[in-house]
Order: sequence, then C-alpha cells, then structure tokens
Amino acid sequence: MRRLTLYTAGPLYRLLRRNLSVAQLAGYAMANLLGLSIILTAIQFYADVTPSGPSEESDGFIARDFMVISKRVDGISTVPPAFSEQETADLGSQPWVRRVGAFTASRFNVSASVEMGGRGMSTYMFFESIPDEFFDIRPSDWHFDPATAEFVPVIISRDYLALYNFGFAATRGLPQLSEALIGTVPVRLYLSGAGRSDTFPAYVVGFSSRLNTIAVPQSFMDWANSRYAPGSSALPSRLIVEVTSPGSPEIGRYLSERGWETAGDKAESSRALRFFTVVTSVAASIGLVILLLSVCILLLGVHLLLQKSRSTLRNLMLLGYSPRAVSALYVRLVAAVNGIVAVVATVVAIAMRGLWLGALSDMGLAAATTVLPVLIAAILSALIITFVNALSIRRTMLKFWYER
Amino acid sequence: MPLVESVTLCGVLPAVFRGDVPAESEIWLAGRVELRRGCRVCISAESGRGKSSLISFLYGSRDDYDGTILFDSTDIRSFSVDRWCDMRTRSLAILPQELCLFPELTVMENIDIKNRLTSTKTTARIIDMLARTGLSGKLHEPVGRLSLGQRQRVAAVRAVCQPFDFLLLDEPVSHLDETNNRILASLLQEEADERGAGIISTSVGNPLLLDNAEVMRL
Repeated sequence: MRRLTLYTAGPLYRLLRRNLSVAQLAGYAMANLLGLSIILTAIQFYADVTPSGPSEESDGFIARDFMVISKRVDGISTVPPAFSEQETADLGSQPWVRRVGAFTASRFNVSASVEMGGRGMSTYMFFESIPDEFFDIRPSDWHFDPATAEFVPVIISRDYLALYNFGFAATRGLPQLSEALIGTVPVRLYLSGAGRSDTFPAYVVGFSSRLNTIAVPQSFMDWANSRYAPGSSALPSRLIVEVTSPGSPEIGRYLSERGWETAGDKAESSRALRFFTVVTSVAASIGLVILLLSVCILLLGVHLLLQKSRSTLRNLMLLGYSPRAVSALYVRLVAAVNGIVAVVATVVAIAMRGLWLGALSDMGLAAATTVLPVLIAAILSALIITFVNALSIRRTMLKFWYER
Repeated sequence: MPLVESVTLCGVLPAVFRGDVPAESEIWLAGRVELRRGCRVCISAESGRGKSSLISFLYGSRDDYDGTILFDSTDIRSFSVDRWCDMRTRSLAILPQELCLFPELTVMENIDIKNRLTSTKTTARIIDMLARTGLSGKLHEPVGRLSLGQRQRVAAVRAVCQPFDFLLLDEPVSHLDETNNRILASLLQEEADERGAGIISTSVGNPLLLDNAEVMRL
C-alpha cells in the first residue's frame, strides 16, 4: 500500500513535472480526441443502421445479407432442379460467401389440422429445415428429440401471417391473429410414408423475416425423413448463403452465368448497405489516420520528456527506485490523458447519434441498437494507446538503467 | 535480517586495466579479498587507479570488470534489475563521488526522496543529523545553492536513511576540513554500528577518519 501512495505526490512528482510540456500534451489530446471521435461516431452510425447479429428479432434497416438461391424451373417437372455437392462446394469457396447452408425438404406426406373456435381446418403441407445458425430468430425450445419431445416446434414466415391477416382473414370474416396468439394454438400434424403414419402435436414457436418457408428443426427433419422415407436421399434444391460483400457485382455475374435465381430481391438494401459501408469506412479510416498520427506525437513527446529527465531518472534508480516505479509515474500520466480523451470522444459520438436517431425513427426504423460498441471501442483505444506507451516508457527506462 | 554477510572479490580487474595491470594492488587481481559486515575499510589510491570503478562494481551500476564479485556465495552478475533495486533499498547504501543530488530540490526534499522508500528515519532524526553536520540553517535551501562541502554532507546524511549491510563511500570528505571530517566519520560510524554494517570508503590521500580502519592500497 505504501508503495502505491509513495510516488503520487511529494518531491518526486515535483522533480519530474518540471520537464512536462502542457502544451505538447494538450496538442496530443486534441488530435487524439478528433481522431477518436470520428472513429467512434462512424462505429455508432454503422451499428445503428445495420442489424447487430443473427439473434435480432428484426432484420434491421439494412438486412444482413442472406440470399436464398435456387435453380430456375423450366417447363414442367415433378423433380425440382437440385444442387450437386460439387456446385455447393464451388459456391462455398467464392470469396464473397461467408457460409452456405442447404435446405432439407421433407420427403414424406404432412397434413396439419387446427381446431379454432369450433371450426376445424386441415391442409396438406410441407416442411423445410436449414442449419440453426441461419435463422434470424432462435426460440428457446428450438430442438427436437424423438424420445422426449412433447411437440414439434415450427417457425413460419412472417409473410404468411401477413397474407392470412390482411388478405385471407379480412375477406372471409375470420379473426385476425397476433403472433403471440398463434403461438398458443395447438396444431396436429399427421405424418405418413413408408407404410407408417403418426400424429404429433406441434406449436408455432416463431416467425422469421428471412425465410420464406415452414421450418422445423434440422434434428426433427433428419429423424422424420429416415422414418417415413428411409433410404431416399435428395440433394438440396435451395441453398441459403450469407454473403460478405453484399451488392457486389460478382454475385450477380456468378448467379446469372449458372442460370440460378435468388429469392427475395435484396438488391436495393444491399446497395444501401454498400453505400453506408463505404461512407463509414472512409470516415473511420480518416479518423484512424488522425488517431495513429496523434499516438506518434504522444510517443515522441513522452520520449522527449524522458530524455530531458534522463539524469534525474538515472539518479532515482541509483537511489533504489525501480525502473517500474519511475515508469509508473509516466504511465499514469498517459493513462489519465487517454482516459479523459476516451470519455470526451464517447460523449461526442453519443451526441452525434442524436442527429441521425431522430431521422431513423421518422422513417419508422427506430434503431434497437445500443452504444455498447462505442463504449468498447473507446475503452480499447485508451487501453491500447496506454499499453503501447507503457512499453515504450519501460524500454527507455531500462535503457537508462543499463547505460554506463 | 541482513541480506549480505560478506562481499568477496575474486581476481577482479576493471576491463580498462587489462593490458596495464597496476602493480602492488591489494585488491585488483588479488586472489580473494573478503570484506565482512562490520568491517571498516579505507581504500586509498592516487587518481585513476579505479576507486570509483570499484564502488560502481559493488553497487551494481557497472559490470565492466574481469573476475568475480560474490555477495555471500552469489555472483552479483546474476542479479536482476529488481534484485539490485532491492539491494539498493535495503542492503547497500552509497555516497557517490558525483553525489547525485537533485539541485532543484531542497536539502530536506533530497533526503526525503531516499528516506520515503523505507521510512527509516523520522523527520526529527534527519533534522538532528543535519544539525550535527552543521547544516541546520540550510534545511529548506535548494541543494543547487550549497557549496560542494555542504552537498557532500547532505549526500552522506541521505546515504544512511535506509537499512544497509554495507555503506559505500566514494571520496566522502574530499571537500571537508578535518573537523567536519571527524564529525561525519563519527556520525557514519554510529549509523553503521547500529546496524552491524560494514563501511567501505575510498580516498585520494584525505581519508574519512574512521576508528581502527583497515587501510588497503588499490
């Protein structure tokens, strides 16, 4: 404890403060503040206009780019054109592809029935499944184990509900249904194939904005396909792709060369995303350059400060002060300056956010995002700059120690 | 508990003397010289015989020598930076020839900078020691305004503001008259006796007037 308080005040501090140039430090602080504010504002802007992750309920202002790819259907055929393993692998190796997932279709008969207000409805239907990580939502009960499962969870497209509510129900005098209400309606599934038939209870557990299908967990699909359609295996006829650079002309070229189609035209939002990505990355790059230059100023300034205090520092170490202890005085100074700059830059970025947040909510796109990325970036910046300086200070101090 | 019981020099020679070995030295290239805690040693030599070098070797601020220096049985070349800092705080006290005072700080501040590392002396005790060496009127004077002799006494008082096993004095009284020499010698001796510590002092013909000191020629 004594060692901690030892160096904070008193003659030692007065001794080393003499060579400190306040103007130099203030110059650094201003430059660093400018650079960091620009970077943080760019990060916040980017975070506000793009969805932050696959677990988001909504796809945000600009969709994270998922495309569903299928082959064009020509003429009439009972078998949809499928993707060979080679085609899937080739797609996966394209530079603009982050990952590819296959749709697995049900190869058995499904019919579903619902009892609603005394009226029964029954329909033939189908299921598809995709690997879990491609879902924009992930309900807590999204799994299926044939031994223990009480019901089959189902995710349907949000578009289907809209079609029902605003198209079908409105014209037929049927009640409009909320998402929450649908989740409570028990559905009976009747599955058959390969000489077997069973009924299962099922519930709609979620609505997807991304997937235009009726989806069940991959585990259920694998189990049901092997039970009701054993031995048959089919290649996927639809693929879901997450792209790294949406709106890239390469994508369109690749797809049209092969005569493949994408479901849902995301081109508009892709172009918007591309524009915002370019604008924010240009701004962030300028900020980064300013930040790096200011860090160079700080490194040089501190180096100069140490050189000016060289004989004092050597004498202190001769008296028994460790290089670490004398370094700590300077590291603390650097940490304090960077801490203050980080706090002010964060405040600036959050204040700037007010400028576009209003405009976004006027467009009905109130961002459900947080300032967390900015806080993390500010803290990281202060930590890294302080750490780099601490290393440099420590090195200079050890150099003084070993000097004869 | 003492950190160092004995200092042993085994065939030590400053690197600069390699081609030009000084004759009749009792230390350089001597087979084995052992200095124990409690010793009183005056090392005398003309200029240029390596007095300050010897003090620097023992204090760990230089290592450009041949041969081996042992603290107890440990070769001091193996000491880490941290170990040396610990030594300089708790086991080795020094009065360097160039004094290494901070001219912009006052007498009391200069001493406080050393004393606060271990809080060995109370302020009253420091004032008392300064008074004994005739500096009571200079407590709050910046050291830069003192004469060389006065500075030497400040550095001597500063040196004993820590626990030590050996007190290394590099020409401690070169600018003091005999009266002041005796005063300082008795003060330093008392401090060393209190700790059972050894004193290793160098001089060019004006030795610190220690009682019963063993004189060695460098």
